[in-house]
Amino acid sequence: MIHIVTAENRRHFHHALMEMHRQRKAVFIDELKWRLDEQAGLEIDSYDSADAIYLIESDAPRAPVGASARLLPTTQPHLLGEVFSHLCSETPPTGPSVWEATRFCPAPETPKGAPRHHMLGRIIAGIMETALLFGIERVTFVANAALGPLAANAGWDARALGPKHGRGRERLRAFVAEIDAAGLRRVRARHGITGPLIRFIPGALAHAA
Amino acid sequence: MSNTLVWTFAERCAGARAVEDVRRLFLREVDALGFPYVACASHVDPLRPPPEAVTMLKYPQPWVEHFSIENLAKRDPVFLTAQRQLLPFRWRDRGFRKTLTADQLAILDLAAEAGLADGFTIPLHSPGALPASCSLVFGPDGVDPLNIQNAHWCAVYAHEAARRILREQPFGDRNRLSAREREALEYVARGKGDYAIGVLMGIQESSAHNTVQRAMRKLGVATRVQAVVRAMAEGEILLHDVAH
Repeated sequence: MIHIVTAENRRHFHHALMEMHRQRKAVFIDELKWRLDEQAGLEIDSYDSADAIYLIESDAPRAPVGASARLLPTTQPHLLGEVFSHLCSETPPTGPSVWEATRFCPAPETPKGAPRHHMLGRIIAGIMETALLFGIERVTFVANAALGPLAANAGWDARALGPKHGRGRERLRAFVAEIDAAGLRRVRARHGITGPLIRFIPGALAHAA
Repeated sequence: MSNTLVWTFAERCAGARAVEDVRRLFLREVDALGFPYVACASHVDPLRPPPEAVTMLKYPQPWVEHFSIENLAKRDPVFLTAQRQLLPFRWRDRGFRKTLTADQLAILDLAAEAGLADGFTIPLHSPGALPASCSLVFGPDGVDPLNIQNAHWCAVYAHEAARRILREQPFGDRNRLSAREREALEYVARGKGDYAIGVLMGIQESSAHNTVQRAMRKLGVATRVQAVVRAMAEGEILLHDVAH
């Protein structure tokens, strides 16, 4: 299942968040050689905050983390607005009904190929379910040459916001995906997902339990 | 915790007049950030610290006693690693552990049994200070990863505040060296004798001799080698200025 972690309940997910930042360091810095800062073996950037919404795939708050992603409200500082605006031919979509998805991170030991592909499908389904729950209509994201086509063709209605930029593996492109129930059904069908993946453990409830 | 709160903490540290005040402020802040144990300290025997050492500790007492009895300040792989690098490191990090010998890993295993299983260490480097670091422990409920950076800031401010207060306290009748005395000692450190120092400083050989003697008296030492070592330890002269 995929847990939604927000400011309200993140104190129950300290272990999972720590593991997510450790995996991000292993994948983005060690594996993909992105030039990001690390601290104490964790990759944490200035967009990580209590206002970000994290999707973390794990069986329980303390179970091993399978994959993670970060959702940022576009009414606040976010990557497409500040770092990647050059990837957009038009003004990047922003507003209270638009989120930005960043830092899709499979657990580093996940085998490459189909397992990672399906993991991406599950995270996209999780993003769509969460967006529908929060009344979000569109989600933007930036993807490299490897991830871009997979993410754009996952079944949701996604289109590029501009041409590709850069070279090789770090050839980047910005996308926007429409969020609707039909798109979610297509993503689920394509990845063999039979029902909702997301779980939300409320802060107070989890505390009582 | 927001940046505003970090600045509030920094201001309170800057206003503190006693090391005990800094210690209390720091331990309270670290507790609020969710760390059950912390050791922000100079790398010395925690139960017999020299007067210039910083020791802001909230650590399991049996481990502190073991650390003192076994004189681990000289062997602790966490201390040794902190003395060689600037960036914080997590004890479970494979990159850190693969540099260690079996003896050193055994020290970490014992610490884990004492309740110090998972955590990280912030190296603290300050000119003229004893080597120091701040180790923070994750408890069973874990710690919000966003608090790691806040803890880093707090450790740096608290350590500097404690050092400032310790420096202001008189240890005996120590006088600061004059500019000429420092300059003369720098030449001593570069291997110059009285004659050469006199030429370099444009003074008589006997004046050069007296300047060095005066510096030695102020530092409370009997030989020129001791004078250089002590002056460096106290930050009167810098290795950087005399090494080339």
